[in-house]
Amino acid sequence: MFDFTLTEEQALLQSTARDFATRKLAPAMRAHEEARGLSEDARRAFAELGLATLSLPEAVGGQGLGMREAVLCEEELGAVDPGAALAAPGPGAFGRALVELGSEEQARRWLTRADDAASRTWGAVAWSEARALDARAGFATTATREGDGYRVRGHKAFVSGAGEAEVFVVFAQLDEAAGWGGLGAFVVQRAEGVTPGPRHRTLGLDVADFSDVAVDAWLPADRLLTRGGDTGALARFFAKQGLLTAARAVGLCRAAFEVSRDYCEGRRAFGKPIGHFQAVAFKLADRLMDADSARWLLWRAAWAWDCDEPTALRHSAQAIPAALEAAMRCGDDAVQLHGGAGFMRDYPVEKMMRDAKQLSLCAPTSTTWDQLATALDLDLPLDPALALPTPETQPIFT
Amino acid sequence: MTIDFSFTKKQRALRDAIDSMGRHVVRPQSLSWDQNKAVPTEFLRNFYQMAQGMGGAGHLGSGDEPAREAGRASETNRTVMAGAEALAWCDAALMLTLPGPGLGAPPVRGSGTPEQRRRFFSIFEDMSDELRWGAYGLTEPGAGSDVAGIRTTCRKDGRDWVLNGRKCYITNGARASWVVVFATIDPALGRAGHRAFVVEKGTPGFSVGRIEDKMGLRASETAELVLEDCRVPEENLLGGEESYGSKEGFMAAMKTFDNTRPLVAAMACGIGRAAYEVARDFVKANYVMTRPIPRYAAIAERLARIDRRLQAAWLLCWRAASLADHGEPNAKEASMCKAAAGEAAIAACVEAIELCGATGTISTEQRFVEKWFRDIKVYDIFEGTGQIQRVVISKRIFPGLHGF
Repeated sequence: MFDFTLTEEQALLQSTARDFATRKLAPAMRAHEEARGLSEDARRAFAELGLATLSLPEAVGGQGLGMREAVLCEEELGAVDPGAALAAPGPGAFGRALVELGSEEQARRWLTRADDAASRTWGAVAWSEARALDARAGFATTATREGDGYRVRGHKAFVSGAGEAEVFVVFAQLDEAAGWGGLGAFVVQRAEGVTPGPRHRTLGLDVADFSDVAVDAWLPADRLLTRGGDTGALARFFAKQGLLTAARAVGLCRAAFEVSRDYCEGRRAFGKPIGHFQAVAFKLADRLMDADSARWLLWRAAWAWDCDEPTALRHSAQAIPAALEAAMRCGDDAVQLHGGAGFMRDYPVEKMMRDAKQLSLCAPTSTTWDQLATALDLDLPLDPALALPTPETQPIFT
Repeated sequence: MTIDFSFTKKQRALRDAIDSMGRHVVRPQSLSWDQNKAVPTEFLRNFYQMAQGMGGAGHLGSGDEPAREAGRASETNRTVMAGAEALAWCDAALMLTLPGPGLGAPPVRGSGTPEQRRRFFSIFEDMSDELRWGAYGLTEPGAGSDVAGIRTTCRKDGRDWVLNGRKCYITNGARASWVVVFATIDPALGRAGHRAFVVEKGTPGFSVGRIEDKMGLRASETAELVLEDCRVPEENLLGGEESYGSKEGFMAAMKTFDNTRPLVAAMACGIGRAAYEVARDFVKANYVMTRPIPRYAAIAERLARIDRRLQAAWLLCWRAASLADHGEPNAKEASMCKAAAGEAAIAACVEAIELCGATGTISTEQRFVEKWFRDIKVYDIFEGTGQIQRVVISKRIFPGLHGF
């Protein structure tokens, strides 16, 4: 039955995440941004909570919870600092990539760790490339047979956590003739030949580290993930990972709305709070509709994954762009409603607006999801060139 | 209870049954009803019998069911809403024409005495001999959403009340066995002066004015009602005189909308879905979507956005109905879903016409995009315009805001 009630466990998780975000992330928000990284204290607190591996299976060292639990927590983090959520220590997108694209054996081998790396970002996913190839469809980075294994060589772009990560999933062209259907995903350890370039300075979410990486590594054959070239599995990976980004976007929507509401209640003009003017109040009403509807779409997609509903991918393809676009509108209006003050770093809203735009590029973009959603509804075969965030459309941060 | 987005078995069965009736029985006749400005009584009678047989669908015309008997969570609002969306997908005008108390139900149920509830609802219990309707008369030529501005007057005279005024845009007003009419003992008193009466058909001084000629929903009857020294017995004052505290009269009117707005919003979603499906099928049949992208990317994106927006509104409806079922206040959420659904569905119909090209303006078979385009506009108007919904939402955002 359609219902929006949290279980006791979910409510507890949500309030734990909210509490953590309020106590550890909120006071340090600007300090983290300026330092372009999380404090040791925040990292340790993150690691203790285990938020980074919440929805990964227990068998590979995760908490074994569902997507619903994950999006509930991520919304709370996103409401305070989506950048911190992205910079959270742990395996990052690497974890989900292994679960969705690798065999059970591969996932266990690369995700189960008993070391003290938990408070560091130790994994990353190298998907994007800076430019599309003219000569053929597919990535310029190639994987060629060499001895018993593969030589993976090329340049990957926009990799979050690259500066710190010890192990990467690197996407490369395995079959040059097969275009976007000929991809392979490899597990590559930094020491084997991944060299991060200088860190990018980005519009938003700058607390997280985004770098390009050069890859030149020989890898044994068992590093090739079993489903790394499977378009369906890739779509699933991007959808589930994208839902976490969308959840942060929903949190941003909510926070932008709340802080704007409070500002418009306190700020007076022409003898009354500016929120008591229709032009202002109606804008807030619209943003509240944005925030709420994005959250319910997000919850539905998360529910669908948790319950193995066949509609999960399509629901995700609606939820993610809805949340990313709503966040941009909420961030933009938050600055607008604050007037000149909104432009100043004394207030959090300018950061929200920057983060919102950046978030919209930390998952496949609306354009990609819209194409995918329609393809699914028209019952067309999943065309990887259409369903995946390739450099031929818009490169994204992973 | 947990986060869940699936239909119950009952809801699914209800929707399947409505869908099938819609395809095979309703839609083949929709256009002629629209042109003839009426659903034939014989059809309504058969449809009503069928709906009774389905169990549950019979409630659809009633607009609302009590959500919180015994203070426990119910699923009635949600189930009725699931049905309403499906029935509007078939034909929204038919849904508005279904026999039953209609929009008159919530005020009678919410504010009526037990005796009044028995008296006014009993006529709908068995309609095998004759179909009956109820109606809701609030809007006047000079007052719509600003309920405080109504000018229809009521004055106590002996054991009767004497009503004078005009009510307009009343759905099923001409055929209704009774109409809940809002009037004021003194316009200067504002909301405190409001009284709600059940005015029965045939009461001397109570007559039907013009029947409106509308853009859409043409098969649904919209009437003007005239009250000229209309004498209504005091037993017909809803809730009895003693129940009229300072704001009771007004609050009764407003409670109606908290319950019916999600329902109306769901209807809009149903019409929007119908339009989206036609556009989708048209695109599938007329474009080669597998051609290399840029070619049809713009079309695919437009389709995706129509549905995305409809789905967002649809889930807001569920949220509002769910709160009602849990006995929680939902005025803000009800207005949010109404505002979002009206706009999303209008956009869906407008876009669908354009995506279908010239054929979009011509109704054929089960493809009534032009009809839906006409039908849908009023969903951002009746039960409070999109602007009024935003006024309601704004007041909930700013508790200190009492009016603009």
